[in-house]
Formats: sequence, structure tokens, C-alpha cells
Amino acid sequence: MKLYDYVLSPSCYKVRLMAALAGVKLSIRPVDFHPGAEHRGPELMALNPAGSIPILEDGDLVLTESSAMLVYLATKAAPQWLGNDTAVQAARVQQWLSFSHRLTASLGAARLHEMLLRPGNIDALKGQGTAALRELEAGLVEQSIRGQRFLASDRPTVADIACFPYVALAPDGEVSLDPYPTIRLWSRAIRGLDGFIEMPGIHRLHELKPEPVPEVGEA
Amino acid sequence: MTRNAMIDEWYPVGLASQLDAHGRGTALMGEPIEVRCGEDGTAKVTGGNGRVLPTCIRYGHVWSSLGDPKKPLFAIPEADQPGRRLVDVGVVRVRCSPLRAVENFLDIAHFPFVHTDILGSEPHTEVQNYKVEIREDEDEVWATQVKFYQPQAAKSAEGGITTEYMYRVPAPTCSILYKTCPPHPGEWDVITLFVQPLAEDLCDVWPWMALFDDETPMTDLIHFQQTIFVQDRSILENQIPRLLPLDPGMEIPTRADLTSVAYRRWLKRHGYTYGAQLVAQ
Amino acid sequence: MRLSHGFVRGETLSCIYHGWGYAQEGNCLRIPAHPALTPPDTIRVATQHVEDGDGVIWISAGEAAAPPPRLDGVAPLRSMMVEANVAALEAAAGAKAAGGLLDHSNDGLTLRLLLAPDGEARTLMHVLVGEDANPTERIAASRAAETLRRAAERIRSGGAVQ
Repeated sequence: MKLYDYVLSPSCYKVRLMAALAGVKLSIRPVDFHPGAEHRGPELMALNPAGSIPILEDGDLVLTESSAMLVYLATKAAPQWLGNDTAVQAARVQQWLSFSHRLTASLGAARLHEMLLRPGNIDALKGQGTAALRELEAGLVEQSIRGQRFLASDRPTVADIACFPYVALAPDGEVSLDPYPTIRLWSRAIRGLDGFIEMPGIHRLHELKPEPVPEVGEA
Repeated sequence: MTRNAMIDEWYPVGLASQLDAHGRGTALMGEPIEVRCGEDGTAKVTGGNGRVLPTCIRYGHVWSSLGDPKKPLFAIPEADQPGRRLVDVGVVRVRCSPLRAVENFLDIAHFPFVHTDILGSEPHTEVQNYKVEIREDEDEVWATQVKFYQPQAAKSAEGGITTEYMYRVPAPTCSILYKTCPPHPGEWDVITLFVQPLAEDLCDVWPWMALFDDETPMTDLIHFQQTIFVQDRSILENQIPRLLPLDPGMEIPTRADLTSVAYRRWLKRHGYTYGAQLVAQ
Repeated sequence: MRLSHGFVRGETLSCIYHGWGYAQEGNCLRIPAHPALTPPDTIRVATQHVEDGDGVIWISAGEAAAPPPRLDGVAPLRSMMVEANVAALEAAAGAKAAGGLLDHSNDGLTLRLLLAPDGEARTLMHVLVGEDANPTERIAASRAAETLRRAAERIRSGGAVQ
């Protein structure tokens, strides 16, 4: 499986993260998104006329929507991540997978504006991002009342992976996560999963490792 | 009001490779400027009132100044050495003081915590003694004999090594890092941080590199450096106070911070205070 | 750098930037760049007096004159930031706050709201409900708190009450 990837893209990171958690080895094809705008070049436009990344290629199959890539990876290698045990659970997964596009369009666009100088109405984007974070916070509060730590279930599903990156990186677009205690708990639960990998802007949870014995130097 | 001593310095304002006739609006120290490619093919930079600003193209970037630069842009002799690959990393905007961006670039003690498993890792956290000086002839800050253990020092590095560095500050918002170059022992890779001050607490950062590495694809080199810098970005945006304190007392330096101490002293001596704060304020 | 970005190992709170670790009393325990160095006692961070009572974490600004108030019969549900002041919340709830507590009845449910102003225009609202409320009631209470917040923010932005 070949992923056309940009290291700073939260949507590409969703796919890398899902693959890492599912134990799938991806072949990474780095795309010079910034500053080179390679995603708008002829080779990538031929694969994805929408001019967006990520693109996941597996034989004949070419996927250009990250939610579809998460479902594909989970179905192939880690079906427990699909969250389709009950009708309610399956519906919640679909609800949050669709919702994740609003995070991309608001928090993601605010981040591109603030960090990589892309055009956009920053106040409107931040406002939409805040509205989406409030919905997510409320959803997670209700889940915790049901005794479930994740968006659709007591275990993480593709829905959590679809929502996590743009939420965790909201401060890159100057949207603070301070007002959302339940989102922060959920984020820590995801960052603490076995096999979790980071991307730039999401720091290592150093508390997961014990205090090391310092090495006092040779010099 | 005293004259801003940084007004006559050169600053990066865009990538030379992305110059076009449409032009791009940006800013220098609060003043809106426009950068475009003139009809004669050279870079043109105009200030807020339409006045023509000094311009040069060097190290992959267009440089300009709001004042009257007394000297040409600082030299990086290695940039012209044959066999090096020149890497335009591209701009990243950071909501921080331009001086804080440079100071963070001069710091190694944060590597294990911010660039975990790439530039540093616990338990290899010790910063050994190194040498710092203000070179009076060149009027530059230099740190030499800096050594640090790195799990993956560069895209071309396999596994952990103790890397040696030299740091150089030739201008208030620019720094050059010379770093052990695994494929070419005896040579130094050149990694720079060119900072465009937009406001006292906002900057566009243009990293650039001149490396001996014939193997790694260009996009991988760009992504490696973008990874490192964006790991720093959230730290920079959360520093308190936002402006760089130039008087001692507000922050506690240790031996590991001697480069920063020299940098702050050098800034203060020259009155390079755009993006700085003095206790007296 | 705020220590809230940092990490806790055992009883030590460390900064994410350079890993300096601090004890509960605020004194610096370790500076990773200089592992052999015992940090001087002068390196310390400000500390606050903290108490955990009835599931609520309390901090006193300065010396606390008395222990935190008891919140008998209620349990914490969630905390929310409201982009409106206490007066707007009172208007939305149709009730007056007393001692930082505002009671809001909705559809037979009573929410007890613990209000902490954050500047002139924001309020941190801790939502408490009866300690024997079942999950359905608790979810209803969470939704009622969302509705109250919307109403308070509409009042704040100049909209009509209701």
C-alpha cells in the first residue's frame, strides 16, 4: 500500500496513525506540498483530480478520502477498529466520520492560514472550529456518562482517528483546547494507545516512560 | 523615540524560486511591503508608501531592508562550495518574537523533550561545556565545540551518534548552524534559520540548508527540516513573556545557555531590541 | 512555557521544553542538561494551595480563610467555558447566584452551577447534578447546560431573552 504523504498534513497523519495502530506497513511517497505545491502537479492530479492529499494506492484501488482509507486499513488488518458491533455503535462511527470533515474545513483551514499563510477568513474559521469543538466535547461528555471513553464505544474506532488530528492540532490555528477538559482526556487516551505515533505539533507523552537514570558525561 | 537599530538590516522576504510578476504582499516590522519580479527579471520590493526598498537575492531567498544597509548581506562561504545541495525549506509563520525564534534555534538542551528520538532522547540529556564568544572583527556571536547525542541527527544519519555543532549569529534575526556531516567527514552541513520580523511578536521563518547528501530525495530533506521546525513552533508560541527579555533576572540561565546569554548581550549592546523587552519597560 | 504543557512522573511535574522537574513544594529537583547538578533552592515555581472536595478541585488565591464549601447531595458532571458573564447566566436561568452557586431548574431537573468568572466576559461553569441522578438524567442535565449556555451567550451578544 502506497501513501502519498505530507509530513505536516493532519489528514495524511490520520492514515499513518491508523496504519501504525493496525500494524500495517505503508510505503510512503513524500509529496512536496509546501513549498513545492507538488499535489497540484500533473503526476498527482492524474491520480487525484481534486488536487488533495493523502492518496492511498493499493493495486487498482485509489482512495482520496481519508475516512475511506481508515475504513480500508481497519477492515483489512484490524476489524475491531470498525466499531460495528451494534446499530448504535455503527451509526455513531458514521456520525463522527462525517463530522470530521467539518474539523478539516474549520480547524484545518485555520491552521493552514496561521502556519503556512494560506488564504481564508480566519475569524470565521476559528468560530466554526470552536463550534465543532463544543459539539465534540458534548459528545464525549455523554459517552463518558455511558461509561465509554471513546466517540463510539469503550474502545477506540476509526471515528476517533478521523477526529483526533485536527483537534489535537487546533492550537496551531490559534484555537485553544483549554476550555475542553473531556477532549483533553480523550486526546491523552489516544496518545497513550499502544503503537501510537506522533506528528510535528503533537509532543511525546514523556510520562509514559519512567524517569530515566541520567548519564553523566564522559567529558 | 530612538531610531530602531534593526532598521538597516537585511531580512528575508520570500523564496527566490517563487518570485512572480503578480507579487506577494507581506510585511517588515509592521510596514506592509510587496515583493515581485520586475520586468527586467530582478526582484523588486516596495514599501508601504510605494518607495523602492534595497533588494538582493542570496541563499535561495529575496532579501530586503526598510532602511539603508551599511553592509552587504553576511557571507556564508560554504553556500558556494561545489557538491552541496541547496534546500529551500519554505516559510512557516510563528506567533512569537523573531528574537525568540533565533534563540530557540541556538538551544540544544530542549532536543530530548521537543525533538524526541530525532535530535535527542533521554537519558542522553547532558549538555557538555562548549565555547562561546562574540567575535569582534566580524561582529558575530559564535558557539563552538558543542556536542550532543542524537538518535537521528540528519536524514542521512543511520542510528545514534554524538554530533558536533557550531552556531553563528551574523545578524539579529538570522542564525547559521554548522553540523557534523556523516557522508563527508571533515565538512560541515549548513542549516540556517532566516527570520522575517512581521511584528514584535509575529514572524515568518525561512529555514534553508546547504548539505552534502547525494542520496536523500529533496522532498525528504525538506520534510525532515519542516518536522524539526514545526516541533519547535508550539513551544515558541507558548513562551512567556512573548518578547525576549534582554536584562537578566526574568529567566534563569545555566551553563547550557551560554549561547543565549551571549546572543542577548550582543543584541542589547547594539540596541537590537525589536521583539525584545527590557526590565525598565 | 506553562507547566501545564509538561508531564508528571511520580510526584514530579516537568516542563516540556527542557525537562526541568519540580516537586510539590515548587522547588526544582532536576535540570536534565546538568544531571550532576543539584539545583539551588532559589530555583522554584509559584505554588497554590489545592484541595479536592466532593469531586471538585479548589484553589485558593492567597491564604484560604476557610476550607472549601461542602456541596452536599450533588456530584460534578462537567465543566464548560461560557462566553458571557454571570449576569447573563443569571438572566438565562431566571435565578440569582448566591455564593457563586446558581440553581437552574429545567424539566424537573435541577442543575447546580458553580460559577467562576474569567475576566469580564467569560465564566467557567462547573455543572453539578443530584448525586443519585441516573445516566439518562445526567445526559439530560448536560444538554440542559448546553441550552443554558446558548441562551446566556445570546443575551450577551444583545439578543432577546428566550
